[in-house]
Amino acid sequence: MSGTEDEPRIGVFVCHCGHNIAGTVDVEAVAHMASNLPGVAFAADEMFMCSDAGQTLIKEKIKEHNLNRVVVASCSPRMHEPTFRRVVEEAGLNRYLFDQVNLREHVSWCHMREPELATEKAIDLVRMSVARASKLQNLPIKKVNVLPTTLVVGGGIAGLRASLDIADRGFDVLLVEKTPKLGGNVAKWTHLFPSDETGADIIKPLIRDVKKNKRIKILTESKVSEFDGYIGNFGVTVKNLKTEKEERYEVGAVIVTTGFEPFKPVGYYSYGESPDILTLAELQELPRSEQLLKISNGKPVKKVVFIGCVGSRQPGVKGHEHCSRHCCSATAKAAADLRDRVDEVLVLYQDIRTYGKGHEEFHRMARQKHVIYSKFPQNEYPDVIVKKSKITIKWRDVLADEDLEFEPDMVVLASAMIPPEDVEETSHLFSLTRSGDGFFNPEHIKLAPLTTHTAGVMIAGAAQAAKNASESVIDASGAAAKAVGLMAQGEVEIESTVSHVIPELCSSCHTCLTACAYNAISMDETKDPPIAVVTEAKCHGCGTCAAACPSSAIVMYHSTDDQILTMVEAFLCPSPSIQGGG
Amino acid sequence: MTSTSLSTTETVDSQGEWEPKIMAFCCNWCSYAGADLAGTSRIQYPTNARILRVNCTGRISPEFILAALNMGADGVLVSGCHPGDCHYTSGNLKARARWALMETAIEQAGVDPRRVRLQWASASEAQVFADGVRTLTEQVRKLGPIRREWV
Repeated sequence: MSGTEDEPRIGVFVCHCGHNIAGTVDVEAVAHMASNLPGVAFAADEMFMCSDAGQTLIKEKIKEHNLNRVVVASCSPRMHEPTFRRVVEEAGLNRYLFDQVNLREHVSWCHMREPELATEKAIDLVRMSVARASKLQNLPIKKVNVLPTTLVVGGGIAGLRASLDIADRGFDVLLVEKTPKLGGNVAKWTHLFPSDETGADIIKPLIRDVKKNKRIKILTESKVSEFDGYIGNFGVTVKNLKTEKEERYEVGAVIVTTGFEPFKPVGYYSYGESPDILTLAELQELPRSEQLLKISNGKPVKKVVFIGCVGSRQPGVKGHEHCSRHCCSATAKAAADLRDRVDEVLVLYQDIRTYGKGHEEFHRMARQKHVIYSKFPQNEYPDVIVKKSKITIKWRDVLADEDLEFEPDMVVLASAMIPPEDVEETSHLFSLTRSGDGFFNPEHIKLAPLTTHTAGVMIAGAAQAAKNASESVIDASGAAAKAVGLMAQGEVEIESTVSHVIPELCSSCHTCLTACAYNAISMDETKDPPIAVVTEAKCHGCGTCAAACPSSAIVMYHSTDDQILTMVEAFLCPSPSIQGGG
Repeated sequence: MTSTSLSTTETVDSQGEWEPKIMAFCCNWCSYAGADLAGTSRIQYPTNARILRVNCTGRISPEFILAALNMGADGVLVSGCHPGDCHYTSGNLKARARWALMETAIEQAGVDPRRVRLQWASASEAQVFADGVRTLTEQVRKLGPIRREWV
C-alpha cells in the first residue's frame, strides 16, 4: 500500500455522466486544468466513472501511474463515495485517500443555463478537492467485538417478537419493561383488528413463549437508568422501580420498542365532561360483557358515535400533525362488532384510510352491518354538547350538505397515537433524535428505517411512528435480524473518521467534554494535569470538539483544519500558475 | 473603531466582470443533501457558491470563516440542520452559539456582517437552500468586492 508520507501522486477522473454533467460543464477543460495542478500525476475525462469501464480505468491508472490519491469529479458523494472507496481499496489504496467532487447535483443540474459559469465553478471545486487530496492521510480500518446479548427496551408486542426472534437464533436477550406486566397496549385491547381475537388472546402465547425461553432475561417494573458504551459493547444500568435497586449489564446491541401512548384528548369534543365520552383505547379496555353499558349509570348503550382523527392530522398543531394510521381500521372493526349489540352506530370522519391487508374489508363489513358513516368538513369539527348528563352532537354532513344532530348514549373518540410521556428521557438515554410527530427518527426513512444514528441501537414498532400491531411485528422481526446480524458477525467495523486529542497540546480546560454530545471524551485523571482522551468507538465524527478546542489540541481525522483550510485557500488564493485554469 | 470604517455599501457595476465569491460550508446530513436535492429537482440558483462538505456545522470553527474572508471570499455561507434536527444531536446549536460571537468579531474587524449567513436547510428543503445561496449572493453583490476595510 502506498504510504501517505510519499509525495502525492493524484489521479483526477472527470465524469461526463452521459449528458448529465458534460451537457453543461466543459469536462475536457476541467480535466485539462486538473492535469496542471500540483501533485496531479494523471487526469482524464470519462463517460461513466461508476460503470465497470470507469472503475477499471481507475484501477489501471493507479497501477500505471503509481497513484496514491484519487479524485473523482462526478455525482454526489452521498451516492457513490462508497463505490469509489471500494474501487481504490481494491487497487490497494486506503479508502480515505479518495475524494469526490460533486459536479452533477451541485453544478450541472442547478446551473443548466450558465455553462461558462458552471465550468468555472467545476474547475474551482476540482482544484479544491485536489488540494485536499494531497493532504489526505491513511486511516486504519478498525474493528471492535460485539457482545452476544441484545437489550430490548419495552415489553409490548414489538419487544416480545424481537426478543423471541433473537433468542430463537441462539443469542441472549435482556428484556426491560417498565410496567409490572408484559404485553403493552395490545394486551389491553378487546377488538383487535384484523382478527376476531382479543388483543390479550393474541399476545398470550407470545408472552408464554418469551417467559419459557431460557435465553431471555425479563426485568419488569424496571427502567434503563444509564446507558453508555458503543456499538458491540454497551453498558446498561437497569433500575427496579419498586426496590430502586440498580444492576449493571453489558450488551452488544439495543432494540428500542417503547411504543406509544393513546392521546387523552382533553379539550376535544367535551372529553372529560361526561364519563360516557371516552377514547377508543378506553373503550377497548372496558371489561368484556354481553352488553355495552353506560359508564355513567350502568344502563345499556343503544346509540354510539365514533369520531375519527381526534388529535391526529391537525396541520400546525405540534405533535398532532401526523395520521395515527391504526384508528380508521380499529374504528371500523370496533363499530362493526358493536353494531351487533347496539341499535345505532355512527362514525363521524374527515377521511377514511383503511389501507392495510384486510382492513378495507372491515370498513365494508361495518357498512354492511349498517354502521352509518358521515363525513364532516375538514375545518368544521362536530360540536359535542353535554347537558344534564345528556350528550348531543351537532355536525355538518358534507355529502348531504346538511346540518345534523344526534343524541348518543356514548361517544368514542379515536384519539391519536403519541409518544409515551417519558420519550424525552429515552431519547437522551440512547442519543436518538425525534421527528415532528415526536417519535424516534430512523437512520434513513427509506433505506434504513430500523437503525438509528446511534450505531448498534435499533428502533421498532410504534416507537418509530404511529402504526398498528401487524406493522410493529414486522419492524420487530426486522430489527431482531439487524441485531442478530451484528452479533453473528462477532465484530464490527467502526468509522476511522474520529477525533483525536494531541496530549501535549491539551490544556485540561474540559471544553471538549461539554462540546461532545456522546460522552466520547473523558479526562485521563492519571495524568497531571488531566488530559482529554477520546473513546474512538463512541465518537460519531461530528468534529464539534475540534472546533471548540481553544488549544487546537483536537484533530478531527479526515476533516482536519489543514484539510479544510487548504480547500478554502485553493478556492480563493490559487497559486498564479494555475489560476487561469489551463 | 468608528462606523465609518465599516464596510461600505458601494454597488459594483459588474458589467459581467466581477462575480462574488462565496465560500459555503454545508453539513453532510442536511444542507449538503438539500443542495443535492436542489440539483435533482433542477432548481436553478446562482453559481457563486463553492460548497465545502463537513460532517456537522459543529465542525466549523470561526477560524474557517475568518480565514475565508481574509483570503478574499466576498461572502461566507454556513448551512446546517434545523435546531433540534442535528444528525449529531446538538452540533448545530454549538455552531449557532459560536456564530453570534463570530458576527460581532467580524463587525469589529470592519467586515460587514451581511457578508456572512447562517441558515438551516434540511435534506428535503432544496428550495430553502437555493434561496439562501441566492439571497447571500445578491446581498454580497450589492456590498461589492470585499476589501480590508480597517487600518
